[in-house]
Amino acid sequence: MNNEKQLSEAESLELITSMIQKVKASYHESGTSAILWGVVVALASFLVYASITFDFTLPIEPFWLVFIAIVPQVYFSIKENKINKVKKLEDAAIDTVWLVYGLSILLLVMYANIAPAISEKFAKQEGWQLIKHYTNGSKADEKIPPFIPSIYSLYILLYTFPTMITGIVKKFKPMIIGGIVSYVLFIVSCYTTFQYDMLIGTVVAIICWLIPGLILRAKYLKQRKSSNV
Amino acid sequence: MFKDLDPILHSQLRLAVISLLIGVKEAEFTFIKEKTNSTAGNLSVQIQKLKDAGYIEVEKQFKDNYPLTTCSITKQGIEAFEKYVKALQGYLHTNKK
Repeated sequence: MNNEKQLSEAESLELITSMIQKVKASYHESGTSAILWGVVVALASFLVYASITFDFTLPIEPFWLVFIAIVPQVYFSIKENKINKVKKLEDAAIDTVWLVYGLSILLLVMYANIAPAISEKFAKQEGWQLIKHYTNGSKADEKIPPFIPSIYSLYILLYTFPTMITGIVKKFKPMIIGGIVSYVLFIVSCYTTFQYDMLIGTVVAIICWLIPGLILRAKYLKQRKSSNV
Repeated sequence: MFKDLDPILHSQLRLAVISLLIGVKEAEFTFIKEKTNSTAGNLSVQIQKLKDAGYIEVEKQFKDNYPLTTCSITKQGIEAFEKYVKALQGYLHTNKK
């Protein structure tokens, strides 16, 4: 490009437009993070559903998988940042949204694990406890620990949040559709038991991340193939 | 004809650099060089001019033992670019009449 070339008004505008287009075309998202996250959350949710349905005990808490998945997630994120020589403003904002989402998930897990035990402690201090009472008298009353009703619905709601933002900001229809369907499934999950909430969570992970991730991956491979030709 | 246009921006390579940076948070020197089809020497000179004008920020660091130069547009650069585009549109509008 010759710096000293005298530009006309039209040429200047044309140059500006072409440079903006070049930036748009330069960014490639491999979809790896979305696929990984989708598989891990779907698998963890489904394992819990299966363990309740088929009455077996899992050797490890399946949501440890979610935590384990954070490590490769960070690795892929750093790798993608290295490949991309340019960082868009929208991507910087979306990265922050996902970071806040990760932190919120972590804190929600903490809440789900701490709140019932603390509630039980407070109840004990006040001198009362929760009792499961069968109204038809078929079974004897039993003492139960405090619990958060339909907790997984909150996770589903939280899963939808960054997906919708990413879809809307990037104008990526599969994620917008995934987000809308997940909001509907969140409402459905309010009416279902924990067991089916886990099944709904599996579907949400597939439509929010796995399918959009596979679409991104296919696009990425196609782009890479065409740029290598 | 173009006496109202910012002389810093009204040059092919500098305008290309600013146009690339306007929509991004930051871009590597090699990316700008590739997209503007310029030589490293010429680009360095023009980037320095944009930096001296306060339109861009240049950060130099090392990545995997190689020097890495990253450029980003400043608030002043955004304002200058917007003013430049407005002036261009004004010229085009006048020419159409």
